[in-house]
Amino acid sequence: MTNSSTINTFILYTFLFMATLIALQTQSLAQGSIDDQVKEISALLMCPVCQGQSIGESNSNLAHDMREITRRQLEEGKSKEEILAYFVNSYGESILASPPPKGINWLLWLLPGVAIIFGGLGITLYLYNSQGNKTKEQDTSKKIKPEVDNDYIKKIEEELEKGDS
Amino acid sequence: MKILSTSGKIIVLIIILSLISLMGYAIFGSRVNIKTSPLVGTVAPDFALKTFDGEDLKLSDLKGKTVLLNFWASWCMPCRQEAEALEKSWQKYKGKDVVFIGVNVWDENSNALSYLNKFGGGYPHGMDPNEEIQVDYGVGGVPETFFIDPSGNIRDKFSGPLTEQIIDYFVLKAQQPQNNES
Repeated sequence: MTNSSTINTFILYTFLFMATLIALQTQSLAQGSIDDQVKEISALLMCPVCQGQSIGESNSNLAHDMREITRRQLEEGKSKEEILAYFVNSYGESILASPPPKGINWLLWLLPGVAIIFGGLGITLYLYNSQGNKTKEQDTSKKIKPEVDNDYIKKIEEELEKGDS
Repeated sequence: MKILSTSGKIIVLIIILSLISLMGYAIFGSRVNIKTSPLVGTVAPDFALKTFDGEDLKLSDLKGKTVLLNFWASWCMPCRQEAEALEKSWQKYKGKDVVFIGVNVWDENSNALSYLNKFGGGYPHGMDPNEEIQVDYGVGGVPETFFIDPSGNIRDKFSGPLTEQIIDYFVLKAQQPQNNES
């Protein structure tokens, strides 16, 4: 009887210990997850009072407040999109690290591609044309060469004749 | 050395001109509609503030009144510049359905109180408890002032130190019925 009671107590304590461990682990995972999300969202928002820094990189008071608000809103269960929309509503689209590809913003997304395509085309055309000119020059020099050789040979022959006489 | 044919040159020229036109539009095209804040023309975010006098103040309770909402800090030099104009204007508009509210941000309580003792605090001032009101209003620095019309819409935002003339201009504008200018 005593042994059975000891075993039951042991099982109960083990169960409680395991449950506490699981609860702590879950809490820690959730906390980690929110930290990660705060980091992710902070990298997507530019600090309005800094030069080219996201709120994740800036140490300004405002960036700190914005990170805290992001955390609070995540804890309230808001999604990333809802939080970004909240900041865009207050500060405008310029708060976003990468402006959404719509309206005039398309230019920002298209111009680098267009520049690469046209730059590449320009370089290709330049190389192609300079290669063509080189080939032409080589062709021309090939045509001239025999004449030069002939002149040279003629001169040698004349000199030889002079020597003989 | 000929890199492009005449037609090629024309095409490149057209593309370059189109890109310049698009960039010109991006830079100058929308200038007419530029607002000082995306919140101008929208409903002012509601907030609750505990004033330094210990009173509770809620924006939504001020419907029907024109509200001047000023964000300031004790360490901010331009805030000191505008303090006199704010105080004088508040005296002028007192009892005329115009409410002045000061929101102290990024500050220490003691510094804010000594600032108010020095520069006057006739109208209600309070500290943003969660530093959230200024983000709700898209404040990027101090001083910044919002002019809210009697129906609760933000009519204008002004960044920088105010003068009595600027306050008059925006307060009177906020008191006028809103036309669809924006």
